[in-house]
Amino acid sequence: MSRLTPENVEVAKEIIARYPRPKSALIPLLHLAQEQDGYVADDAMEHLAELVGITPAEVLGTCSFYEMFKREPVGKYMINVCTNISCQLLGGEELLHHAEKTLGIRPGGTTDDGLFTLEDVECIAACTEAPCLQVNYRYKYKLDNADFDAMIEDLRTTNKDNIPPHGTLAEQRQHIPADKLAGIGSPEDTTTPEWFSKRLPVEEPKEENA
Amino acid sequence: MGYLRGFAVTAKKIFEGVTTKQYEGGKGGKTDQKAPKPERLHGRHVLNKYEDGMEKCIGCELCAGVCPANCIYVRGAENPPSDPKSPGERFGYVYEINYLRCIHCDMCVEACPTEAITETKLFEFSFSNRSDAIYTKDELLVDDDGRPQQLPWEDWRDGEDQHTSGWMRATAPSGKASAQGTVAWSGELGYGVRAPEAAQNVRTPIDAAIEAVAVDTAKAEEKG
Amino acid sequence: MTTAEPTEAVTGVPFTLNGTELVAEEGELLIDACDRNGVHIPRFCYHNRMKPVGMCRMCLVEVDTGRGKALQPSCMLPVTPEMKVETESEATKKAQDGVLELLLANHPLDCPVCDKGGECPLQDNAYAFGPGETRFVEEKRHFKKPIPISDLVKLDRERCILCDRCTRFASDVAGDPLIHFIDRGSQTQVNTFPDHPFSSYFSGNTVQICPVGALTAEPYRFKARPWDLEAVESTATVDSTGARVVLQSSQNEIVRVLGVDSDAVNWSWLSDKERFSYEATAKGDRIEQPLVKNEETGMLEATRWNNAAKKVGAALRVEPDRIAAVGGARMPLEGQYAWAKLLKGVVGTDHVDAQLDDGLPGPLVLGLPRATINDACKPGGVVVTIGADLKEELPTLFLRLRHAVVEDGVKLIELTSTATHLSDFATVRFDVTPGSVGQFATAIAKQAGADLDFDVADESGLVEAQADKVAAAAALLDGSVPVTIIVGRGNLAESPRFTSDAVGIFRRLNDDFQFMPALRRGNINGALEMGLVPGFTPGGVQRESAQLDTWPDVPDFDGMDTKEIFRAAAEGRIDTLLLLAANPLQDFLDEDLVRRALANVKTVIAVDGISTETTDLADVVLPAALFGEVDGTFVNLEGRLSPLRAKVTPPSQARPDWMIPAELAIVLGVELGFTTIDELHSELSEVLPSFADIDWDTLGSSDDGPVLKLNRSWNIEFGKPAAAPPATSAFRLVATRKLWDQGTMVQESPSLASLPSEAAIHLNPDDIERHGFVGDSVTVRIGDQTHTIPLTSDVRVNPTTASIPVCLPGFDARTLITGRSTTAVEIRPNGTT
Repeated sequence: MSRLTPENVEVAKEIIARYPRPKSALIPLLHLAQEQDGYVADDAMEHLAELVGITPAEVLGTCSFYEMFKREPVGKYMINVCTNISCQLLGGEELLHHAEKTLGIRPGGTTDDGLFTLEDVECIAACTEAPCLQVNYRYKYKLDNADFDAMIEDLRTTNKDNIPPHGTLAEQRQHIPADKLAGIGSPEDTTTPEWFSKRLPVEEPKEENA
Repeated sequence: MGYLRGFAVTAKKIFEGVTTKQYEGGKGGKTDQKAPKPERLHGRHVLNKYEDGMEKCIGCELCAGVCPANCIYVRGAENPPSDPKSPGERFGYVYEINYLRCIHCDMCVEACPTEAITETKLFEFSFSNRSDAIYTKDELLVDDDGRPQQLPWEDWRDGEDQHTSGWMRATAPSGKASAQGTVAWSGELGYGVRAPEAAQNVRTPIDAAIEAVAVDTAKAEEKG
Repeated sequence: MTTAEPTEAVTGVPFTLNGTELVAEEGELLIDACDRNGVHIPRFCYHNRMKPVGMCRMCLVEVDTGRGKALQPSCMLPVTPEMKVETESEATKKAQDGVLELLLANHPLDCPVCDKGGECPLQDNAYAFGPGETRFVEEKRHFKKPIPISDLVKLDRERCILCDRCTRFASDVAGDPLIHFIDRGSQTQVNTFPDHPFSSYFSGNTVQICPVGALTAEPYRFKARPWDLEAVESTATVDSTGARVVLQSSQNEIVRVLGVDSDAVNWSWLSDKERFSYEATAKGDRIEQPLVKNEETGMLEATRWNNAAKKVGAALRVEPDRIAAVGGARMPLEGQYAWAKLLKGVVGTDHVDAQLDDGLPGPLVLGLPRATINDACKPGGVVVTIGADLKEELPTLFLRLRHAVVEDGVKLIELTSTATHLSDFATVRFDVTPGSVGQFATAIAKQAGADLDFDVADESGLVEAQADKVAAAAALLDGSVPVTIIVGRGNLAESPRFTSDAVGIFRRLNDDFQFMPALRRGNINGALEMGLVPGFTPGGVQRESAQLDTWPDVPDFDGMDTKEIFRAAAEGRIDTLLLLAANPLQDFLDEDLVRRALANVKTVIAVDGISTETTDLADVVLPAALFGEVDGTFVNLEGRLSPLRAKVTPPSQARPDWMIPAELAIVLGVELGFTTIDELHSELSEVLPSFADIDWDTLGSSDDGPVLKLNRSWNIEFGKPAAAPPATSAFRLVATRKLWDQGTMVQESPSLASLPSEAAIHLNPDDIERHGFVGDSVTVRIGDQTHTIPLTSDVRVNPTTASIPVCLPGFDARTLITGRSTTAVEIRPNGTT
């Protein structure tokens, strides 16, 4: 869709300032781009490349490594249904099948109204609560088909859990006050940090049979 | 006096008679009957096509590279995507065989990775000028039905254009290691597609594995 | 099994290789130590000119460092004392089998189609070390077959084995990380960002180092197979770096040029211009026969050599100071000597100049102590660059210097008018406005303790504002470490005077500083050395002190340089003008002056291999053989002699350059004294002391070639630098060169012709904002002219500087420069006056 908005450019500059090398800020910046558009657009990647001083190809190389950065538009709610062992044994595949039928899409697809994107995922580490799924990476546990339908209905209407649109990581953005920053030096700065010089001396092991 | 012995040999040979036989077959010969030829005779080459009309030659120049007489000239070029001449990226853009040099050793046929070049049994062709002797790609290519072109100076008889594109090879037809060393004909276009012969139908463990995967996939697709 | 004689390392790390006790160098990688001892370890990703990554695992060997045997990648493992290495053990062989079987699991077996087939490391290693059969029956990974990643390179991702060589080259060596691993995982592939092609000047190197046929170069695709190539080693002549190359031909046509790993020069790298401009000789608009203008029709008509030579001979029988020659940098050394001997020694004119007013003064270049590339790049040293962005003008030298600065810690001081592609790595970088470089040099030299009898003239306060940088630079130039000063012509709009002033000041600061002339034209250093410069005879000897026994004559007047020659010609003071492979209509900064000169000269004689707009206007055109068609010698910017070798025959009646003046001399009734190239070489060795010990037959065949001792006994007087022009209007003009331009070699190479970008004026983004320039063009006023020129925002341009490349399609930037003594331009938003 687009490059970063002027407000987000300011945020980006703040994020970049937290790192010794601008390039290190790339992943937080990709999250920022995804938060803005719901996915990481090509234009946004080009813009990030300009902001951190690398080529767009390098941004794409990083971005494409991570499954959770979407490079195509996705629905407002990304539903990931687990089909790994525990969930599979307890009906994960059936749940996925039901989801396909209910939403009328196959995994990877997005509903016509742009609300839902369905994905099947490997273990999301909630085996005790199988079968489970995530909506925009927020967990829903032990679902049966009726629960799923109810969840979809709720997302379409009230969204009582207040699940933010895809891409939003935190509803409150973190701002680190300047005086609380971890003391960034340049990468070439090799002076020993203060905490290092103040740490307790390590006891030399006594040589036996000296 | 040793040289007299040399003369004696010469003198003896003079009266021994000629071993060279006159070729009597063919047009203008005594019988107009061609001499019988073995099935694997190396004759004039053809450039083969697939059943869909695509050229088999991919212009890889292996034939030219292996030719001991240096009589093959090949240039490859990029296949136009809209009108490909052969499967894949590359096709034989120029293909020429100089029959004034060719010794019909069949090394080109052995080297060809696609069985594009094979030899017919045609032996009765002679030319009166150099440019006729250099066969170009247009002359070497078979028709769409797989039959070689018959040029004015060539003596083709009925049925002689059969079995021209098949190749009696002893180097693992279809690349099966298990068939290495087993002599067999490859299938060919022309007079209908001839069935491959014996060793090509030998089933190997690899074949079985491939089939098993294919069956599994088919079943899976049926289900899904 | 060791096959070769082990060579002794200087400082040793003892280790055992397949049971043989050997010594490795300190910190040497195991794979290198094995190579040196004649044990070949198969590899794909390791390249001795790049940092190892251990990507392909092909070089696994069994190593025992005292903790038991283990398989380790030998390209990542420095030899440690008492290491025991097995390269042929069962475990090693099994590992090699496994690696190859896995690499071939997805690699398509389309070798007969693939251009790499026959010279493919994957093929070779699969035969030598592979399992012979695969157990994989699954479908291979599929991608769209070759996709263009630039205008010159195509990528077949199916064939790629992900060795990281091209991507490492792009980011680490070239500094253009435009290709990268994308979609890492089961679909890992090398690719570009959409609509950001791999338009690096060095893209061809990735094709050369690709160990499979994944990267192919457009000009060579399907042109030939490795087994029908014939090869000869030569030297690239498109710029003065003199990179070593191998020319490969098939059917008497050069089809490919590869870089040769010359430790002293190019480390196997080439720029795409060096690699692909061979096309111009095979496919360019070649002059194949002598042409003479028909007096009646005014058209050039083909004729015989005799007729053309007679006509030239007649034109050379006028007063020597009415004869002038321009050009000659393209020729081999032999041609340059023969022309110098004919023009200066027989005809007796000194109006000879190989530079087209876009270089540096001949005496300056000839009189400076020279550094070699290895001197400049030696770790611990300091390099000062004055002039152009080396990436645009001498790209292969740029790669060496980039490696030295980025990897080897060589300190870089930049005194350039625009930021270069090395500025990010420079220790000190000055914002030099046009005309002020001499003042910066003065400030630095004074701070570093030079005894100068003048002060910095810094009215604009520019130098004062960068006082801390001056101090930093002065500290680096205190004489404690070796210093190399690379001098080029960074701004065609300003007089070369400013640059030579700065050079003079550094020369006065310290006698030990060495210099490297960054002149871009091919064999320009050979041309200057052979006396194709006013005031000199071969060997860098001044005209007055020339002692050339084999020469009939030496000019008795001081000649004019190119600019003066064209001026004199336009005024009718020149009767005969020779253009030695020069195309001044395209190359000289004042096109109008050239047109007037060509119109007012009685006889214009063009000697060239390729038809250009200038040869079209000549009265006589003599066809010359080009690169790859003749044997000869090249002198690079270090003064290194390297061979030029013939691989194909010249077209039709084209002749080697040295033969043409020899023939013309006979028409004039003189013998030049050589009828073969060997005789010419003997004369060179005899006449010029610096060439006395050259073994011409084996020149550069087993080494990098001898470096001529070019340090002259005479010295140039350097005085007070010219004052920087006063700050008047808003902008100062910097006119630069681009690698891809409208020059003959690029335009006559079909694959390169479309690469030059449209000319645009480059301004710093801050300036654009401050002046409120909107839209994509601006109005530029200089003198009484007004032009509308496309605008590009470019952070590399210094503030208050306007940079514009010359010789590009679109706006002809020469019109901003010609006939002006000022670099000041007024730039306004488009549409205003």
